[in-house]
Amino acid sequence: MKIKEKKWIRFRIIVVALFFVCGFGTIVARAYQFQVIRRDQLRAMAQSGYTAIVKLPPDRGTIYDRSGHELAISTDVSSVYAHPRQIKNKLKISRTVARVLGISSTKLYKKLRSNRSFVWVKRKIDPAKADEIRKLKLKGVGIEKEKGRYYPGRELAAQLLGFVGIDNRGLEGLEAKYDKLLTGPGNELIQMKDALGRPFFIRRESSENKAIHNLVLTIDKDIQYRAERALLVAVKKSRAKGGQCVVLDPSTGEILAMAVVPRFNPNIFSRYPHGYWRNKVVTDCFEPGSTIKAFLLAGALEDGVLYPNSRLYCEMGKYKIADRVVHDTHKYGTLTVSDIVVLSSNIGAIKIGQQLGYDRFYNYLRGFGFGSQTGIDLLGERSGFVRSPREANSVDQANTFFGQGLSVTALQLAVAMGCIANKGVLMKPYVVKKVMDARGHALKIIRPKVIRRVISAETAKKVTAILENVVSERGTGPLAAIAGYKVAGKTGTAQKVDEKSGRYSRTKYVASFVGFVPAENPRLVIATVIDEPKGIPYGGVVAAPVFREVGQWALNHLNVNPSVRLAEKGPGSKAFTRFEQCDPKSTFASEDQSGLAKQVREGFLPDFRGMGMREVLCKAVRLGLKVRLEGSGFAYKQSPSPGAPIKQVKYVKIIFRPPRS
Amino acid sequence: MFDRRLVQNFDWFILLILMGIAAASILNLYSATFPLREQAGSHVFRKQIYWYCLGFGAFLLMTTFNYFRLERLAYPAYLVSVALLVLVLVLGKISSGSQRWLSLGPISFQPSELIKISLVLALARFFSEKKEFKEYKLRDLWVPFGLILGPFVLVVKEPDLGTGLLLIMVGASVVFLAKIHWKSILILIISILVLAPFVWLHLQPYQQRRILTFLNPEMDPLGAGYHINQSKIAIGSGLLWGKGFLQGTQTRLHFLPEQHTDFAFSVWAEEWGFIGAIVLVGLYFLIILWGIYIAKNSKDKFGAMLAVGITSIVFWQVVINVGMVTGLLPVVGIPLVLFSYGGSSLVSTMAALGILMNIRMRRFMFQ
Repeated sequence: MKIKEKKWIRFRIIVVALFFVCGFGTIVARAYQFQVIRRDQLRAMAQSGYTAIVKLPPDRGTIYDRSGHELAISTDVSSVYAHPRQIKNKLKISRTVARVLGISSTKLYKKLRSNRSFVWVKRKIDPAKADEIRKLKLKGVGIEKEKGRYYPGRELAAQLLGFVGIDNRGLEGLEAKYDKLLTGPGNELIQMKDALGRPFFIRRESSENKAIHNLVLTIDKDIQYRAERALLVAVKKSRAKGGQCVVLDPSTGEILAMAVVPRFNPNIFSRYPHGYWRNKVVTDCFEPGSTIKAFLLAGALEDGVLYPNSRLYCEMGKYKIADRVVHDTHKYGTLTVSDIVVLSSNIGAIKIGQQLGYDRFYNYLRGFGFGSQTGIDLLGERSGFVRSPREANSVDQANTFFGQGLSVTALQLAVAMGCIANKGVLMKPYVVKKVMDARGHALKIIRPKVIRRVISAETAKKVTAILENVVSERGTGPLAAIAGYKVAGKTGTAQKVDEKSGRYSRTKYVASFVGFVPAENPRLVIATVIDEPKGIPYGGVVAAPVFREVGQWALNHLNVNPSVRLAEKGPGSKAFTRFEQCDPKSTFASEDQSGLAKQVREGFLPDFRGMGMREVLCKAVRLGLKVRLEGSGFAYKQSPSPGAPIKQVKYVKIIFRPPRS
Repeated sequence: MFDRRLVQNFDWFILLILMGIAAASILNLYSATFPLREQAGSHVFRKQIYWYCLGFGAFLLMTTFNYFRLERLAYPAYLVSVALLVLVLVLGKISSGSQRWLSLGPISFQPSELIKISLVLALARFFSEKKEFKEYKLRDLWVPFGLILGPFVLVVKEPDLGTGLLLIMVGASVVFLAKIHWKSILILIISILVLAPFVWLHLQPYQQRRILTFLNPEMDPLGAGYHINQSKIAIGSGLLWGKGFLQGTQTRLHFLPEQHTDFAFSVWAEEWGFIGAIVLVGLYFLIILWGIYIAKNSKDKFGAMLAVGITSIVFWQVVINVGMVTGLLPVVGIPLVLFSYGGSSLVSTMAALGILMNIRMRRFMFQ
């Protein structure tokens, strides 16, 4: 080999070497570009890739009633899906699957023939059916677990709770109102395809930053159940279109029950007409009729234009206003203001209204919350309608005085009555008491909220006294009376406007009763509305029994001691004695109390036996005694025994037991 | 006939590098076929171990004789290889749409692997025959062109465009060492440009599609471009340090096509990251440098050309494969030499590297 050629070859070899170095440099640079520079982009592609994402419904928080009973819960359910592209014999498979699941095979076949890579066949089926499908081992058909919503109480408080759609998003009621809080992080099925085109799933929690919250309601499921039962009975008995019943605690505004009839089962909500889903207690308005007279009375007494004993002439049942004539069902001559309300004279109401003046009546109505939303934490609340003084002519005004020509919701009636029961202070109603995190720690506790004082406590007391008479044998609502308790309330029977003629119908009525119990220390306000009862339409006949039914049961359930108690002079003795109002502010006025006070002053321990728990507490506080309470019902044992020297008593142990029937 | 120099001049370092690649290859095959375990995929990495044993045997065998003897064997070897290529076209076993395999009893092998070395041998022989140093003109070059184009046509007929192009690249690398008149080069380039459209028309539709998708991979992300994109994603998602052994999701989930052969590098890059890729490419780079060094220091023209030819076989396969899986080049079906699964390729490449070692060991003999 010549030197020249050798040099040439060496030169060429170096060129080749340089070329090889460049080649390797290129691929290293390429790897660097991918793995270091474009990494985020490519990593994102690796994650999203050519995949489909199927969103699974998110888990949801539980809704509890006030004592922790579950009203709405999340459950594991199974759903059947299919990969149409993988299914070869689509006709056969759609027939088999449709037969097991009980769905239309033609519809399924249509789904399977689509070019989609993923379709739901049927969602939220019961586990037995899912097992059956699983056993068939069909290619391209699979089962995925997801979260379903279940309402263990079925119809119980359905309109209040609402329901969720197939995607677990709240559609109605509290489920919709508190959707954001209840909804937890969603799950996603990441559908991926491997290189052989076989799809598979990776299940992961979606990245949304959401946490499940549980709700505790003010609702008492037992009272709710009773309210629904009583309402169902009343609606059935009167062959009415429907009815509503609200129970609330007047001192706090907590809603204890909110019943709407006809009911529906939220687990299968789609099988019911849409109208059944509405929480008509807040979404539907009606003309209240005579129940409004309670508030007219409150206004008139508060303003001082009239007194309970003021006398007004009731025109013997016929009273001409402008070109209209107002009739009373019974002809009355002169009645006291008190009797006008007790007997529910429309003409008398007009007379009271005329004394008060429409402007001021209007202001009182607005004060009680009519014509504006109560602000309850529910969806779709209506504000109702009260004609402003500028718009109301003399006939409108006269109508409004006895409750026609304005519209209210059942909730407004209950809240306004609650204001009278709460000594003139209007409370904001609410249904969610507590928001808890998934571990059960309270994140937010909703406190009672005062809206405003509407009337003085004194006026409230006077109104209450008159409303108590409504429930007496003389009044329009004796059927609302509850044995052992003093009930105050007002009946209402309003004509509905005929939608066709635009006039007041002679056959369609709204019967209502709204009242509270016990009158002297109200624990419950109950408003009942019966829509279009057939036969006797009077509120005192149709709606008042619901009040009694619910009230009686709830008072017992809440351990409220009767206003008239069994005097325990000895076993078996059942003499009734009146018991004074338990008001910490009142002085030692009544005989009974002064007797006790005397005993204390003399240095002896009084006899608590036979008293209710509330009564015992009131007294003990006033007498400066420490007590320890056990059991429920009425006191039947105390230690030390009565008459012990009070100086030696550190505390009194009192044992209660339910009254014997 | 044991020669002391066999041990003395043996490059232990390069043996170490080869063993490094072998270990990486087996490890990677284990991972790449891991999801296929249930489908008889578990044998793939074990088989690769056997092939490597065979390969190292071939490597050592090739160092035992003076490479000078190969000069005489060059043409016969070439002819046998071409004959086998013809044979494979006639009765080749059909495998994945093309005839590349020849069955000899229990084992089947690819004659196209054999032709790579035979071609280099034949070309080296041709150019070293002329003892006088002169410029080659076009008319002097019909023999080497024939040597290259003959097997090229046969291989493309299989059809295996990748190996065909590889033969041209390797051939060109060897021819590059000879001094060719500049006019001849010009004519050569012009004729290639003129012939290219005819070659295009002769390509199989799938080959045309691959080239088109190479030019625009997003054109058909789920079709022909799918492979490139998945491979890019796999490599890119490996990041600097990789996802770890057996952790590559693209691999695990079968996103990568032919992940134990053509796309083995993607698997490696996904699981071992940029660092792993650099290490592997670095090992190949050392082999290339070693090959060039041998070429430069070889005592004769035949040795130099043979060394460059063999080095270029390794170089082109590495660059084409890595370029292919990273989307730099079209998908032409060239596996990563010594790394992907494949017996014929492994054994023949190891034998070629053995020849390289042979040249290295005998560089001083007649100087």
